[in-house]
Amino acid sequence: MARYLLRRLGFALLLVLVASSAALLLTRLAPGDFAAAQGLDLTSAQREQLRETLGLNQSLAEQYVSRLGGALRFDFGESMLYSRPVSALIGERALNTAVLATTALLLATIVGMPLGIYSGTSSGLGRAAVRMVSTVGVSIPPLIGSLGLVFLAARTGWFPVGGMTSSAGADVTWSAWLADLVRHLPLPALALALPLAAALEKLQSESIETSVHEPFVAASRARGVDRARVVLRHAWPASLRPVLGLYGLMIGGLFSGSFVVEVVTSWPGLGRLMFDALKARDLFLVAGCAATGAFFLAAGTLLADLLLAWTDPRVTSGDEA
Amino acid sequence: MIRRAGIVLASQTLVAVLAPLVAPYDAGEAFRGFLHAPPMRPHLEGLTPVVHPLVLTDLLESRFERDPSRTVRLPWMQRDNTAPVFLLGSDDFGRDVLSRLLYGARTSLGLSLIATLGSVVIGALAGAWAGYRGGWVGDAMMRVADLVLVLPVIYVVLVLRAVLPLVLPASTVFLLVAWILVAVGWPYVARGVRAIVAVERSRQYVQAAQSLGAGSFRILTVHLIPACAGHLLVQATLLLPAFILAEATLSFVGLGFPDPVASWGTMLAGAGNYNAIARFPWTLASAVAIFLVVLATNLIGARGRSA
Amino acid sequence: MNRQPRALLSVLLILVVGFLGWRAWNSARTDQEGGTELVVSDVSTRGGTLTSSLRSEPRSFNRLVEARVPTDLYSTLTGAKLVRINRATGEPEAGLAEKWTISPDNRTYTLTLREGLAWSDGAPFTSADVVFSLQAIYDAKAGSVLASAFKIDGKPIEVTAPDARTVVLTLPGTFGPGIALLDNLHLVPKHKYEAALKAGTFAHAMAVSTPPAELLSMGPFKLTSYAPGQRLAFDRNPHYFKKDAAGIQLPYLDQVIFEIVPDQNAEIVRLQAGQLDTLQQQVRPEDIGTLRPLEQQGRINLIEPGVSVDPDGFFFNMRAPYWSKDPRRDWITHKEFRQAISHAVDREAYANTVYLGAGVPVWGPITPGNKRWFTPNLQRYGHSVDRAKEILAGLGLVNRDADDWLEDPKGAEAQFSVLVFRGNTSVERGAQFLRDELKKAGVRVDVVALEQGAVIERMFKGDFESIFFVVLTSSLDPAMNADFWLSSGPSHFWNIGQPTPATDWEKQIDDLMVTVTTGVDEAERKKAFDDVQKIFADNLPALYFVAPRLYMGTSSRVGGVTPSILRPQLLWNVEQMTVTEDR
Repeated sequence: MARYLLRRLGFALLLVLVASSAALLLTRLAPGDFAAAQGLDLTSAQREQLRETLGLNQSLAEQYVSRLGGALRFDFGESMLYSRPVSALIGERALNTAVLATTALLLATIVGMPLGIYSGTSSGLGRAAVRMVSTVGVSIPPLIGSLGLVFLAARTGWFPVGGMTSSAGADVTWSAWLADLVRHLPLPALALALPLAAALEKLQSESIETSVHEPFVAASRARGVDRARVVLRHAWPASLRPVLGLYGLMIGGLFSGSFVVEVVTSWPGLGRLMFDALKARDLFLVAGCAATGAFFLAAGTLLADLLLAWTDPRVTSGDEA
Repeated sequence: MIRRAGIVLASQTLVAVLAPLVAPYDAGEAFRGFLHAPPMRPHLEGLTPVVHPLVLTDLLESRFERDPSRTVRLPWMQRDNTAPVFLLGSDDFGRDVLSRLLYGARTSLGLSLIATLGSVVIGALAGAWAGYRGGWVGDAMMRVADLVLVLPVIYVVLVLRAVLPLVLPASTVFLLVAWILVAVGWPYVARGVRAIVAVERSRQYVQAAQSLGAGSFRILTVHLIPACAGHLLVQATLLLPAFILAEATLSFVGLGFPDPVASWGTMLAGAGNYNAIARFPWTLASAVAIFLVVLATNLIGARGRSA
Repeated sequence: MNRQPRALLSVLLILVVGFLGWRAWNSARTDQEGGTELVVSDVSTRGGTLTSSLRSEPRSFNRLVEARVPTDLYSTLTGAKLVRINRATGEPEAGLAEKWTISPDNRTYTLTLREGLAWSDGAPFTSADVVFSLQAIYDAKAGSVLASAFKIDGKPIEVTAPDARTVVLTLPGTFGPGIALLDNLHLVPKHKYEAALKAGTFAHAMAVSTPPAELLSMGPFKLTSYAPGQRLAFDRNPHYFKKDAAGIQLPYLDQVIFEIVPDQNAEIVRLQAGQLDTLQQQVRPEDIGTLRPLEQQGRINLIEPGVSVDPDGFFFNMRAPYWSKDPRRDWITHKEFRQAISHAVDREAYANTVYLGAGVPVWGPITPGNKRWFTPNLQRYGHSVDRAKEILAGLGLVNRDADDWLEDPKGAEAQFSVLVFRGNTSVERGAQFLRDELKKAGVRVDVVALEQGAVIERMFKGDFESIFFVVLTSSLDPAMNADFWLSSGPSHFWNIGQPTPATDWEKQIDDLMVTVTTGVDEAERKKAFDDVQKIFADNLPALYFVAPRLYMGTSSRVGGVTPSILRPQLLWNVEQMTVTEDR
């Protein structure tokens, strides 16, 4: 088990390194640099001075080495766009994204999983209805979903359109802030959760349908265990393998931030940060965001594997290549 | 299933190709006095469908009224440039939404179809090679594929697009985005193909072909890849909606096609204005179109997978 | 028995009369007091929180090195000036300096500071701070963005502080705007930043990571918190020196909050929902339709400060070497070509299409919004496609083949490309409108949208055919924008930084600008600048079409507003803004 974990950790580190290096390299090779992206705000002289100050005139190798050295010291550089250390910036935004991601994940699980279990183990009208709804849900990707929900919110005023919190003065009580946050969460969380819940439902349904026909399930039924108990205690854990695989990807994707939803709903998260950084050619911020994203992805898949090992008794500590 | 998928794809292609004939106006044709005009409902006057023309009542607030005293024929029968007919309303430049939807289908579907085709071809060749010959080349290819698969697709597309010059002419964007989509899409195809080929290559018919002296290329193209046909089609139905969405997302955030070009994504670009959506909901027409196409493809794909 | 009720009744009567008399006397007394009270501000509107939007994050709180909007707003709220130009009237107002005298040769300004001025940490504000601020502005290592504004003819201003309350400024030459120069002088505390300036780290002082308690204020507010990506919160500065006409200490507001909302659409939605009281900048024409119904309901006010001073401008590359090998060189740099373009564009239709009617036609860079300096007596190129074609034919451009476009005698087609910023809708639309209009005259225009940075690079390098963009001016006085008018100026966009004027008319403008920048007689300056505008309109180095009307949207709880056409249109006088608590 320990060797397995170590190997996965190594892979995760490798992924982070590759992702951030690739991002740095690509942004560096991109036409125009940060100083150029500032537009008319600067004169030519100021632009050159800015280049000097930010070290944009260094060669790629120099920059890469200095960044690598910094990373080992946990210094990820300073964002040119925000004039703040990259780590602080990413920390804040990652937290905002985490709030959204957790909510979306919970929503998707609460809706998708039970529906999947239901439709996979029953037949008839209920199952057909659920499957139809799922297919529709899967066809509403976050872009379309968030636009539609924004339209709904703008027309009905049921929840605020965009943003994470509204101001009510800088000193607000915890409970008031929390209540405000809860009012702003539904829009982006639903936009994210809808297709995920549908995908989860489909996968769970398919998977439990298979495991329900496994011999050990029939054996339990034969022993007189009632249907519900059989499904939940025996068939379901055995069906989790592909579902948790999806979870891994979902967690990784959600926590690295869906920039589409964050842009449409003005949620100040990690995805949005990366998008802004890319457009402004903010080298270090882009590299930092890519590294964080890769980290979450690796962490997500690792978590999924651990969950699987815990729930599915058939999994040993071997590699599943 | 193959037939159904074929019908859907064929009809989409047909619409896209016929756009110039079917669309009442050009994609870039702007009617200055008719910004944000609402959809006009045709009614029958005798046997001819006609509409009441719109009259501008407030320029600043984009308010229009129907003029019940006059009627205008539909633009396919008779064009009157002073009284344009907007069956789905007009956008913020005064361009007909219906026409742009049809031309946009051409751009968006065209791009996605080409990218899907490219992904399938390259993915099939790469996966089949890896599965058949193996060796370090095959392994390396699969490692790269695994790496790409782990990353969230839209992010990779965004990064790749964003590091190129941000604003480009339409034709360049088309090629560029197509290549990016292929680069992101082939691993999905390749992985499945490799798994299938790895199993199939030990089958008797392959061994028979080998003993008859068939070269690797022939075996791949004539025997092994066709054995993956089912998988390839399933992957195609998965990739197509994903690519349509990727183009829409890129154009929506301004990294896709530049404005005069009609694509479903650029039509949504104005939809960032929440109030515009609330006051002029017809600007979301392309979102509905995307949803319908994705739904249709998913339905076909689902049937295919369960077949 | 009868006597008791009667006594009781009379006592009651006396009490009632007494009570009524007391009431009457009380109300008479308050009426009297009301009559002698100064009606300037209702004390009951003091207090409350104003919430505004902010479109981007501050990069620094150091106004000397960072001029962008967020930092400028920070400076507006937390800074005070020696002399402030009232943005609504254009007149100088006493600020930290209670009075000033100007020497007869107009080169020495002696200012007397008020008594008892102090920074928000209690340290006294003295003339030494003024000297230090100018020192920091001129410091090479600090690289202040204000340096060029405080150099006259390239030379710095000498400043001395004979005593703690007196500042003497000696200019190297006369300066047209006069004391208005001090409206640009942002002050920094010497006791706090002297060490940083000496160590060469002043440019990094007042960084955004500085704890708000460390940031000193002389202005109506001080920063209390900055939540990056979310908001800045400013509380009232209890030591602010200014009082209103009734003697009530300013500001009226308790707190000002800036919500960071990068997206203009989200801004409008928040205004509608009542989450914002005012927006950082003007409302777009397309949003007015959304806000009108709310205006009718009384929830929002739409304020019209006037016509913007920033019209959309379009100019060709006038550097001769660029065109030396181009087949179009015989006509494309000639002023007649530009005059024809000016005739070909229907400015009314431009205003209707691009600004939904909320714009006025203009023929030069100075718009009617700049009341003091605008001159209506300019050459106007009336809309006439026929006249345009006539002029083009005079240049040899006639349609010689079957297509829609004109060609010159050598066969070169009448076409050119124009660069625009991607993402600025009114400019992009303007360029497209230009293309459509010129098509009617037979000239083909290729609109090329590029990233802002790319356009700017090419402009500075001189690698473009024509550019269409909006320049944002920060001052109404042309002497403050000399960079644009002078041929040697870095903002002389069509031909930047010429060592000597390339054309006669540019030389004429340069000579006239001397009067504008250094003349002290207002009438003389105006006359000279009128002539500058006339020469400009005759030679058309840049063409202007429409200046938009400004609309500012505020919630109906906001009062005490003094609108100005210069940015920040409402917040420049935030110290006198009020909010009512109930709607």
